[in-house]
Amino acid sequence: MESYPDFGTTFTHYSRNATEVVSFEMHASVLYLPVVSSAVPFRAAPASVRCVHNDVAVPDFSAYRRHDVQDANASSQGSSDSRKGFSYLMTAATGVATAYVAKNVVTQFISSLSASADVLALSKIEIKLSDIPEGKNMAFKWRGKPLFVRHRTQAEISQEAEVDVSQLRDPQHDLDRVQKPEWVILVGVCTHLGCVPIANAGDYGGYYCPCHGSHYDASGRIRKGPAPLNLEVPVYQFVGDDTVVVG
Amino acid sequence: MLIQRDPHSPGPVPAIFQDPHSRDPISRTPISRDPHFEDFHFQDPHPPDPPVSIPIPDPPVPVPIPDPPLPIPPVPIPIPEIPLSRSPSSLFLQAALSNLTRKRGAASYAHTLQNIPETQVTTLENGLRVASEESHQPTCTVGVFIEAGSRYEDAKTNGAGFFVEHMAFKGTKKRPGSAFEKEVESLGAHLNGYTSREQTAFYIKAFSKDMPKVVELLSDLVQNCALEDSQIEKERGIILQELKETDSNLTDVTFDYLHATAYQGTALAHTVEGTTENIKKLTRADLASYVDIHFKAPRMVLAAAGGISHRELVDAAKQHFTGASFEYKAKGSVPDLPRCRFTGSEIRARDDALPLAHIALAVEGPGWADPDNVVLNVANAIIGRYDRTFGGGKNQSSRLAALAAEHKLCHSFEPFNTSYSDTGLFGFHFVSDPLSIDDMMFCAQGEWMRLCTSATESEVTRAKNYLRNAMVAQLDGTTRVCENIGSHLLHYGRRIPLEEWDARISAVDAKMVRDVCSKYIYDKCPAIAAVGPIEQLLDYNRIRSSMYWIRL
Repeated sequence: MESYPDFGTTFTHYSRNATEVVSFEMHASVLYLPVVSSAVPFRAAPASVRCVHNDVAVPDFSAYRRHDVQDANASSQGSSDSRKGFSYLMTAATGVATAYVAKNVVTQFISSLSASADVLALSKIEIKLSDIPEGKNMAFKWRGKPLFVRHRTQAEISQEAEVDVSQLRDPQHDLDRVQKPEWVILVGVCTHLGCVPIANAGDYGGYYCPCHGSHYDASGRIRKGPAPLNLEVPVYQFVGDDTVVVG
Repeated sequence: MLIQRDPHSPGPVPAIFQDPHSRDPISRTPISRDPHFEDFHFQDPHPPDPPVSIPIPDPPVPVPIPDPPLPIPPVPIPIPEIPLSRSPSSLFLQAALSNLTRKRGAASYAHTLQNIPETQVTTLENGLRVASEESHQPTCTVGVFIEAGSRYEDAKTNGAGFFVEHMAFKGTKKRPGSAFEKEVESLGAHLNGYTSREQTAFYIKAFSKDMPKVVELLSDLVQNCALEDSQIEKERGIILQELKETDSNLTDVTFDYLHATAYQGTALAHTVEGTTENIKKLTRADLASYVDIHFKAPRMVLAAAGGISHRELVDAAKQHFTGASFEYKAKGSVPDLPRCRFTGSEIRARDDALPLAHIALAVEGPGWADPDNVVLNVANAIIGRYDRTFGGGKNQSSRLAALAAEHKLCHSFEPFNTSYSDTGLFGFHFVSDPLSIDDMMFCAQGEWMRLCTSATESEVTRAKNYLRNAMVAQLDGTTRVCENIGSHLLHYGRRIPLEEWDARISAVDAKMVRDVCSKYIYDKCPAIAAVGPIEQLLDYNRIRSSMYWIRL
């Protein structure tokens, strides 16, 4: 007669659940029953060991139990709501935190596909105003286009202010096109077909586009010629006394 | 829904009352001590059903039921909240039953219920309760029902009750050896008994004229058990052999595992038979002390049904049971029944060599006396039961059964509602092929959720009728009635008459089913036991997540 080792059940693992669950698994060696000669009086050591389902004992999981269910002689119903509530609260809070982190990670990765810092840096230009003397028009390369920054004289300012707006093709008052009257900042692209006007040229003391003969005044407004609109005024901001940031 | 007829059984056992893991032989094969009586079933000779063409006259009505003299008040009594240990007012019962007098057929049902003789209960001086229902038949069943079982044992004494039951038939002090069984045989009587977790019973089926003798035999058995040493040693081997046999009954194994895990760390986790170590180690002293502690008169009920009169039964009881002890010697030795904690958990006994998987899932249910039991039984009737022998195919009235049949989800399934004095297990059990476990579990839990959220009036009405039928049908035969009386007195403190069951069942509606089911099932942690090729059974977290729906 073969002799089997003296254990019937193998506890392979027990796992803990988030709520009140405890569990364990056992292999089915308990169901392969070796034969025991039951007629032998049990004072003699049996040749093999029988294992029946009655002998399976659920292990004691007290070390894992929550406080409310430690007492084996108290109903677990009363604390059921509070235990579930705690678990769901923890789940919800973790869910919120995870969503926050996930959103941040995802946006970081996706925003890395957008324009890089050096490209973004090109979108703005900082201009030192003290470099531009009065009456002078300086041109800068900005976003691939010429940017005209003109330091106007008082005569030019008052001359532009006096112009009758209703006579203009694209009516705009000078003061609507500037933040500080002595500085006019324009995109140097002719609104007709895109050539670059020449500064301090033309019949109106402003700009003259040589391509088709559009005349702009010192405020960049179209006065004569084929262009339909005034020169574009970009977004700009004066930072401090001496600097303007365009873009 | 079919009630299967076993040609060898005395009658159909309404499936809803087959408690699959009770030791009660009324609903399962008894553990018969004497194989001579294995196939011998008492057929209580009822008058045979007359041929259909002759109309059966209504039974004579001692109290006519006219239109009620007073207008029936609307029923304000919250009958669903009255515990089963208290009777609702008779006005309500009358009102509930008189609703049935509108239809002719139903009138005889109401009459029949009212005409069932009342169970008479007498309490002797030592606390023993004697109860009987007289029914003018030549046979009777007399039994002693004791509040003792494996729940009263601890780890060291687990199995003592079962051992005592084995020893009980091996002779008493007055009738040693086989004299006891021979005397029973000579009456032409049938002796049987069972032990379960909270109840032990011994009963004898005999001729009504032999009732005094039977009472004497029972008193001898219960009070004077011999517990001979040689018999004890012999019995050890027999019990171990029996354990090996029950090990192959996987349904029982599954339910034992279910208890072991659901009530882990408490007395309800013990199996009734005990562990092999205990069976080998229990001594005569242990058994004697078990009998001494638990077989006390106030914890016993002498119940009888059949052609016996209550007065004669009480006389016989006074004669033979007066000596039954009713005191505890030491102050602290009165056995206490502490609450058993339910733990949502699982136990898996995987064995891929077995052909079929047995799985039982249960949530904690109410104790015996809780009126929610009626509603839960209605819910179980809605869930229904099924096995492959059912002839209807996919045309079953139970939704789950129809699914199971159509998609071959399982070989069989059944719901259960097992109650103990202060707790219970409400759940279902199924047997399936290894590759249908997931689908069956999905459908069964889906059915639970559907009941909690949207049980409909029509299915509740159908279930109520089925339950009414089952409650009445289960009481055919003196043995069933006797067992009913004994159990009721132990569980509820009184016999609940069929009238009252009917009234309680009538009070159930769909909203109540939804509410009560939600109270016990919805978002609760279940206990799961699984045996066999159970790889496909999902892990506990998944099953736990199917106990609720994501909804507002």
